[in-house]
Amino acid sequence: MNLVWISFLICGLGLLLFKNVDIAFSTLLSGSEKAIALSLKLWAIYAVWLGILKIVEDTGLNQKISKLLNPIIDKLFGKTDPNTQSEIAINLTSNLLGMGNACTPSGINAMKGFDKGSNIATSGMIMLLVINATSLEILPTTVIGLRVAAGSATPNDIILPTLISTFVSTISGIIMCKICEKFKKKAKQDIILDKKVYKQ
Amino acid sequence: MKFSSYLIPLLIISLIIYSIYKKNNAYSSFVYGAKNSFDLVLTSFPYLVAIFVAVELFSVSGLSKVFGTILSPLFNLLGIPIELSELILLKPFTGCGSLAALENIFATYGVDSYLARCGCAIVGSSEAIFYITAVYFSQTKVKKFSYGIPVAFISMTLGIVTACLICKIM
Repeated sequence: MNLVWISFLICGLGLLLFKNVDIAFSTLLSGSEKAIALSLKLWAIYAVWLGILKIVEDTGLNQKISKLLNPIIDKLFGKTDPNTQSEIAINLTSNLLGMGNACTPSGINAMKGFDKGSNIATSGMIMLLVINATSLEILPTTVIGLRVAAGSATPNDIILPTLISTFVSTISGIIMCKICEKFKKKAKQDIILDKKVYKQ
Repeated sequence: MKFSSYLIPLLIISLIIYSIYKKNNAYSSFVYGAKNSFDLVLTSFPYLVAIFVAVELFSVSGLSKVFGTILSPLFNLLGIPIELSELILLKPFTGCGSLAALENIFATYGVDSYLARCGCAIVGSSEAIFYITAVYFSQTKVKKFSYGIPVAFISMTLGIVTACLICKIM
């Protein structure tokens, strides 16, 4: 991220040196002003939504959803120890509900559970990474909130398109993971077979 | 899409009814949850400033146009509008950044335009891949992700292409 940010800044400021030096500093300030405006909007959205999510948590609804997810987790991640499995369940549930702040710690814990000290990611780790990276959120509340704040006439119109595209990205990610997993296993078996043949 | 407007209010009503059934104090839960928003905004604010400053420079300096022309053949091929290049470039690195780019799109093209809706669907379709990788693996010894990153990238692209297609139809 550091590299990206530095290159944005150097290239942007560098270009402005030649084009229009006078607006260089005011551009930085207007960027910061926009950040404050967006923060305020986000604050309003987070306040309402985190309040609602807290009700979900306190009624124990998220644990119920977690339990429902267990069979799916078995299928996706293969056999894991119960501790890791419950961390994955929490991670996926908070992902589904859009509880961004709750999925990070559980995701880190689940990764630790998968960790066997090797420096190469296991298939379970990669599956978790891909599922998280492709997003599972059912209700894009932050984006809807931003649309409301920007005065949209139909802020909820994007629910269905978002659902469809996140479904496509997640499912294709899972399928590709499974294919790569099989490929890798086969490659490993081939190597073992080769070694056996070599020994004989 | 009238149905989707009813979705959120109906969900909240059923949640509150469930909360009554569970004998949970919905009011105090809500207040407690809303309190947490303060921390969340405070932690994300510095990142937002950094991103917005960079994005503002990126567009004012004319860099975004340069990038746009470089990327336009690829984007055309995939059916992605070139106006969304800023959003898509930032997307893999930061969630804040894509929200910042989305706000700019709202301001420039209008919230209900095709571009804005497309941008919304793209933001919702995937997360910041590099950020998640860095954070999730931060406490393991893993250095090699084998097929993880490419798979995540391809599925993100598929999600983006789908988003652009769907928004054109709907």
